[in-house]
Amino acid sequence: MIQKAILLCVAMAVSLGTLSAQKCGLVLRGRVLHLENNQPIEAAYVWLSESATGVATDANGNFTLTNLCPGQQTIQITFIGHKEIKQSIVLNSATSNLTFKMEEEAVALTGVEVHGHREAVQTTTAVSTLYGEALLQSRGESLGESLKRVAGVTTFSTGNTISKPVIHGLHSNRILILNNGIRLEGQQWGAEHAPEIDPFLADELTVVKGAETVRYGPEAMGGVILVNPPALPTSKKSITELNLVGNTNGRAGNVAVSHAGGSGKYPGLGYRIQGASRRAGNVQTPNYFQGNTGMSESSLSGALGYSSSKIGTEAYYSFFTTELGILRDAHTGNLSDLLAIIENGAPFTQAEFTYTINNPKQVVTHHLAKLKAHYHLNPSWKLNFQYGFQKNNRQEFDRRRGELNARPSLDLELFTNTAELVLEHNLKSHWTGSMGIHLIQQANSNVPGTGVTPLIPNYDLLNGGVFLMEKYLKGPLELEAGLRYDYRTVSAARYVGNDLQEANLTYQNGSVFLGGRYQINPNWAFTSNLGTAWRPPNVNELFSQGLHHGAAAVELGDANLDSEKSLKWVNGLEYEGKKGTVELTAYANQIRDYIYLNPTGETFVSLRGTFNVYEYLQADAFFYGLDLSGTYSFTENLNGYAKGSIIRAKNTETDTYFPFIPSDRMDWGLSYSLGKNPDQGKNRITLSNVLVAKQHREPVFDLAPAPPAYALVNLGYSKKLELFKNTLSVSLQVNNLLNTEFKEYMNRFRYFTADMGRNFQLKFNYQF
Amino acid sequence: MKNLKKVSLYLLALLAFGFASCESEDPEKENEGEVITDVTLKFQELNSSNALVGSVLSFKASDPQGIEVGKTPTVQSISLAKGKKYQMTIEVTNSIEGEDITQEILTEAAEHQFFFLGPVFDSNIFSIQYADAGGIALGLKNTVTVSSSPGTNNSSMRVVLRHDLNKSFAGANNPTFANFAQAGGETDLDITFPVILN
Repeated sequence: MIQKAILLCVAMAVSLGTLSAQKCGLVLRGRVLHLENNQPIEAAYVWLSESATGVATDANGNFTLTNLCPGQQTIQITFIGHKEIKQSIVLNSATSNLTFKMEEEAVALTGVEVHGHREAVQTTTAVSTLYGEALLQSRGESLGESLKRVAGVTTFSTGNTISKPVIHGLHSNRILILNNGIRLEGQQWGAEHAPEIDPFLADELTVVKGAETVRYGPEAMGGVILVNPPALPTSKKSITELNLVGNTNGRAGNVAVSHAGGSGKYPGLGYRIQGASRRAGNVQTPNYFQGNTGMSESSLSGALGYSSSKIGTEAYYSFFTTELGILRDAHTGNLSDLLAIIENGAPFTQAEFTYTINNPKQVVTHHLAKLKAHYHLNPSWKLNFQYGFQKNNRQEFDRRRGELNARPSLDLELFTNTAELVLEHNLKSHWTGSMGIHLIQQANSNVPGTGVTPLIPNYDLLNGGVFLMEKYLKGPLELEAGLRYDYRTVSAARYVGNDLQEANLTYQNGSVFLGGRYQINPNWAFTSNLGTAWRPPNVNELFSQGLHHGAAAVELGDANLDSEKSLKWVNGLEYEGKKGTVELTAYANQIRDYIYLNPTGETFVSLRGTFNVYEYLQADAFFYGLDLSGTYSFTENLNGYAKGSIIRAKNTETDTYFPFIPSDRMDWGLSYSLGKNPDQGKNRITLSNVLVAKQHREPVFDLAPAPPAYALVNLGYSKKLELFKNTLSVSLQVNNLLNTEFKEYMNRFRYFTADMGRNFQLKFNYQF
Repeated sequence: MKNLKKVSLYLLALLAFGFASCESEDPEKENEGEVITDVTLKFQELNSSNALVGSVLSFKASDPQGIEVGKTPTVQSISLAKGKKYQMTIEVTNSIEGEDITQEILTEAAEHQFFFLGPVFDSNIFSIQYADAGGIALGLKNTVTVSSSPGTNNSSMRVVLRHDLNKSFAGANNPTFANFAQAGGETDLDITFPVILN
C-alpha cells in the first residue's frame, strides 16, 4: 500500500511539469455584510483586478463571479459611506465562498482587520461555523464548551474540565476532529478523554453535522469538527492578537498570544506563532468546592508557509499539554462506595480552594506536525499532498499506596502517521471533484511499569482508503456524490497475568453519499444529504477486560464485534432575510451494530468488594432529531436569538433507550446595543437563558436517575474601545447569574456532585 | 522543476521515516503492584490481666489471582469461643509480588483505617477496640470481646479497609463506624467473614 502510494507520488511529481495550462473555470461566491450587525449590503461593488471583472451585490448582499482563473487575485469592494475593502485572495478550490464585512466610514476605528471568512469545507451537508464575535465570546473555554454554541452540539463531560463534543447524540470515536486538516488521533475511547487540542489556535471552529466518511475516512459517522487556524499572510503585514481571560470560579486565568506576519522581500511567504496557557483551581458549586478539580494547560503552535499562483506549501506544528485533576470522590473503591456517594448526592470530602492537583489526575501531551503542499497542474487540476505525524502520551494517576502514587496506573504512548494525496479538478463544464488516497498508520504501546494490567493492549493499525467525489454546480443547484473504500488491519497483543493474548483483525467497508443544495430564492436555501458511514470497533471495545479503576465497574470487551454501519439523512433549510435568519436541521440516522456498554445486571465479588459487570454489545439503533436556530432584529438596537435541539435515540432491537443521550434543550437571549451606532456594537448588554429538560428517556439500568430539569440565566456586557488606534474588546460575563444548583445529565459527575456555580468572567482581546 | 522534485523527495523520505519509525512495543508482563491477594485475621486469647495466652488462630480470605472476573475469593470462617477476649491482628499480603502490605498500611497509618461491621456487632456478639501502638485509630491490631451469651452460634463480620479518608471526621475513631463513607476516601478491602461461636 505504502509503496504504491510512494510510486504514485513520484509519478505525479515527475509529470508536474509536462502539463500545460488550460482554461479558467473557477466560481467565487460571496456575501457583503455590515461589520457589526451582519446585515446584508445591497449594491456594493465587487471588483477583481487581475480578472478585470466585477459585479454588484443583490438585496441579500450576495454576489457571484464566474470563469475565474486560479491564483492570487485582488478583490476590491466599495460601498458609499463605507471603508473600501482591498484584499488579496488565493483562488484555488472550485467554488470559493467568502464573506466580507464592511465598516462604516463615519466611525474612526482605523486598523480594524476585515474578516474575510471562507467556509472551511465545501459540502452540501449541514455546516455551522463559529468565528469572529461568536468565537471571541467563547475564548477561555475548552473545545467542547465552545462548540455548545452551535445548535445540535452538546457535551459529554466528566466534571467541568473534561468535555467532549457530542454531535447529534454521537461522540468520542464516532466523530472526527481535524486539527488544521489532520485527523486528531489521541485516546478518545473513554468519557474522561478530552480532545487534545486548544481552541485558542483556531480562528474558526466548524461543525459538519452529516456523515463525512467519504471525505475524511472511518469514524466520521456522527460528524466532523474542524479546528482551523487563520490563513497565513501572503503579503507584508503583521498581526498580533492578545487575549486575557479571568474567571472567579476556580480563580482561572488564560493568556493567549498570537503573531502572524508576511514577508515583504519574498511575496507569498508567511508565518504564524501562537501560544496559550491556562491555570485553574478547584471548581465551586453553589454550596461547596469540588475537591481536586484544578487544571493546568499549555499549548503552542507555529506555521510557515509559502504560496504562489502555482504552488503552495505549509509546515505546521502544534503542541498541547494538560494536567487535569479528577474529583477525589469520583474515584471509588467498589460498588458500595459508589452507591454511598450517589445517595449522598454530593462529595463527602470537604474541600477548600486550592490550585494543587493531586491524584487522581491525568497528564496528557500531544504533538502534531504537518507538511502540506499543493500544486496547480493546470487551471483545472490541482494536486494536494498532506502528511501528519502525531505523538500522544496519556498518563492517568490513581490514589494508590505509597510510592505507587508516583507511578501512573495507565501510561499509553500513541504514534500516528497520516498521509493523503488528493487530485482535485474543477472543469468549466460545471463539474468539480476530487479523488485521493488516505493512509493511516498507528502504533499504541503501554509504557511498562504501571503495576496494573493494561485495560487496552499494544496494537498496530494500518488503514488505507481510496475515494472519489464529484460535484455538479449550475445556477441555484448543487449536486454532490462520492464513494470510498477502506481496508483496516489491527494486530494487538498484551499480557494478562502470564498469558499472552494476541489478535489480528481486519475490517473493510465502503461508504457512499449523495447530497444537494438548492437556492430556492435569495432568502431560502435547502440542503439534503444522504450518506453511509462506518466505524470499526475500537480497541477498548474489543479487548477491555478488567476493572475500570475508579468507576467501580468491570468491563468486558468482545473481539468478535463487527463494524458499526450507519445511514444518515440530514436536511437543512436556511432563511436569511432583512430582519432575521432561521436555520433548521432535521436528521435521521440508522446505525446497524451500534456498539454500547451494557450493564449485565451481574456483580462481581472480590476482596475489594463488589463491582458491576458491563459488557460491550451490539444492537441496531435509530437516532433522529431537530436543531433549530434563528436570529431576529426587533429594532436597530435590540436583537434576539434562539436555538434548540431535540434528539431521540433508541435501541430498536430491545426497544429501550441508550444512556448519555442529551435531553431536549434550548438557549435564547436578547442583546441591546447602546449608543448612536448600534451596528458597531460598541456597548452591548446580553441577557440569555438556557433551558434544559429532564431526560425522561432513560436506559433500563443507570446508577442514578436522571437529574431534574434546570434553567440558567447569563448576563454579559461588552465594550469596544480604541487604544493606540487599535480595537480593544472588553467583556464581562456572568454565567449562572442566580447561582442555581443543578446537575447535567450528560456530565458523568452528576453521580457525585452538583455542577459549577456562578462565575464572573472578564475578557480582554486586543489586536494590533 | 528541479527544486520541486527535491522537495517531493524530501517529503517521501520523511514519510518513509515516519511510517517505519513507529511500531508498537512488544507487550510486557505487568506485575500487579496494587493487588491484595490474602488477608489473614489472627486471633490470640487475652487473659484477665491482658496477657496473650494459648495458640494463634488464623482465618484467611484469599484471591490468588487478585481481581479476576469469574473467580470468587475463598473466605474461611472465623471460629472463636464464647465469653473470651482476643487480640486480633490483621496481615495483608500480595502473594503475586510476594509483598507484605501490612507494613505499608502501618507506614501510611494517617491515610488508612479498618472498620468492622456486620451482624456480629449489630447483635452485640462482638465488641471491638483499636489496640494499635501509639493509640492511633488504624485497626491492624485490635481487642475483640466475644459475648458469653450471643444467642446464636452463627454470624458474620465485615472487614473494610478505607484509604485516603479524613480520619478526624466526627465518629471515625470508632472501629464500628457504619457511616465510614462520609469520611471520604475509597475502599481497598471489603470482606465478609462468616463467624462460628463455640
